[in-house]
Amino acid sequence: MILDLQRFQAQARPRWNKLESLLAVLEGRPDHRMNLAEADQLQDLYAQAASDLNRVTHGALAPDLRQYLERLVARAYAELYFAPPTRSDIWQPRRWLRIFTAFPETFRRQSRYFALAVLITVLGSTLGGLAVRYDPTSVDVLLPADYLRNPGERVHKEEQGDNRHPYSTQMEAAFSAELIRHNINVALLAAALGVTFGIGTALLLFENGVLLGAVAVRYAQQGFGLFVTAWLLPHGAFEIPSILIAGQAGFYLARLLLRRREDRDVRHSMREWLVLVAGLALMLVWAGLIEAFFSQHHAPVVPYGLKLAVGAAELVLLTLYLLVIGRKEPVAIAHVATPAETN
Amino acid sequence: MNSQRPRSSTTAELTIATAEGVLFRLPLASPASRLYALLLDTAIVLGVVNGVGLLVYWIFAKAPGFGVMVTTLAEFAISFLYGAALEGLWNGQTIGKRLLYLRVVDQTGLPLRIEQAWVRNLMRVFDALPFAYLVGGLSALISPLMQRFGDRVAGTLVVRQTPLSAPQEEFWTRQKYNSFLDYPAIAVHLRRAATPELASLIQDALRRRNELAPYARREIYRELAAYVQAEISTFPDELVEMLSDEQYLINTAGVLFGDRRISTPRG
Repeated sequence: MILDLQRFQAQARPRWNKLESLLAVLEGRPDHRMNLAEADQLQDLYAQAASDLNRVTHGALAPDLRQYLERLVARAYAELYFAPPTRSDIWQPRRWLRIFTAFPETFRRQSRYFALAVLITVLGSTLGGLAVRYDPTSVDVLLPADYLRNPGERVHKEEQGDNRHPYSTQMEAAFSAELIRHNINVALLAAALGVTFGIGTALLLFENGVLLGAVAVRYAQQGFGLFVTAWLLPHGAFEIPSILIAGQAGFYLARLLLRRREDRDVRHSMREWLVLVAGLALMLVWAGLIEAFFSQHHAPVVPYGLKLAVGAAELVLLTLYLLVIGRKEPVAIAHVATPAETN
Repeated sequence: MNSQRPRSSTTAELTIATAEGVLFRLPLASPASRLYALLLDTAIVLGVVNGVGLLVYWIFAKAPGFGVMVTTLAEFAISFLYGAALEGLWNGQTIGKRLLYLRVVDQTGLPLRIEQAWVRNLMRVFDALPFAYLVGGLSALISPLMQRFGDRVAGTLVVRQTPLSAPQEEFWTRQKYNSFLDYPAIAVHLRRAATPELASLIQDALRRRNELAPYARREIYRELAAYVQAEISTFPDELVEMLSDEQYLINTAGVLFGDRRISTPRG
């Protein structure tokens, strides 16, 4: 078919202009809502522009006109098939508060990935602990910092309060922010490393576990078991689980990427991953504050018993929160097979 | 109603096939332009962070430790929020992307959703490894849709969107007088004998007049005019001698596409 481009353009230009101005109106609206008449008009103009594009694509060589029509069709297509969230949806506080119930729900739904993260960390810490226990030469490799290798001096200084600064609250505040930032970065990396099919996540968790096991055994060997538990537990009760949840998010992502493309429910999965990341970030904010403002105070200022009690209480509350919040009462519904199901 | 289905791709564009059978292409952004947008955005974030820092230090002059705390956290939050919030709420564009005519879209051609904006921006911690976005840059270079890892996970891609207006009408279309129509028998023969391919070729040669180098234009027009004159319809020599090759083709296009009926002149 011979297409007279100029005549074709002259005839079609009014409807393209109409579509352009309609799109400009719709795109300019904050909520992108349209009424029935507008939807009708958009559908018509979209169909016409699409058919015009088809003619230009197959009828003649007109790259600039084709590009222009493609852009127009793409805009109309987006307007027709995409419903953006409204501003009121986005700014609703209740929607944002839902993270507090969505987080434990998601945690429970994906608990097998959490179990895997725990398994790898436990494996790492067992190996780290055994290495320090039975192979003294490994201490230098596993515990690079001197205060970790020879905790005696450090414990003495901490208990004497030598490390404390006159403006200690100020320093603690700055320290807490640094901890929060660092920990969230590491946790986010563990969650993102899921794209390496989980290998990166596993290595990170394993390394973390080795260090944890080695430190614990080293301190215990030298008789500072109580000190180190009281030191680490108040913030560790949130910090360690949050790194494990980061591992859970990483393995969840890895599993998603290993699925066949057509079996993935990307939208739902992304939400699950985001909820886990948001939840663990909140946990790490708490852990950072506790680590800076509470964990660094030792006996006799804060008795170890109190620190242990606080840590244990946190752990219990966190466990309850993750296991109970958002859990719905099981509703007993007698399942009656309908004829459609039995067929 | 779900319209997004199969798609195919080349290195430079994404082709979307909608449920209605409409095909359209989205040109992909080159990694270089994305890098420039990233540098611009980084400069903006640094500017904002420093501004916030100055303000915070002024407010917390008597408590510098809290000042550091607020600044550290604000800096951290802004570095993620900037990309995620702007892309999520501002149609897939940050300021840098808007200035360079780039946009993040869903890989089905639809606008991206807020959660996609968050995922692709949080994944930057991995893409930025080990330094200077090496992982993200390399993965974008080897990916057929130029996606970095964050884009692959979020199902998004970055397209180029330079402003476009409808092409203007061209000079040669609406001439008032066409001397070929004075020879209706030859003109009718021309209309019947010309193939669609030849007609498109002539039309395209004329449309691209200003894109062709003068020498190439002269040669192409000469060859086309000679071909039409020799093989399809022979207009009288006294007429053809008065016309340039370009005018010859303009007249030919007028006969082929003109809506005037060709009729024998009166008298």
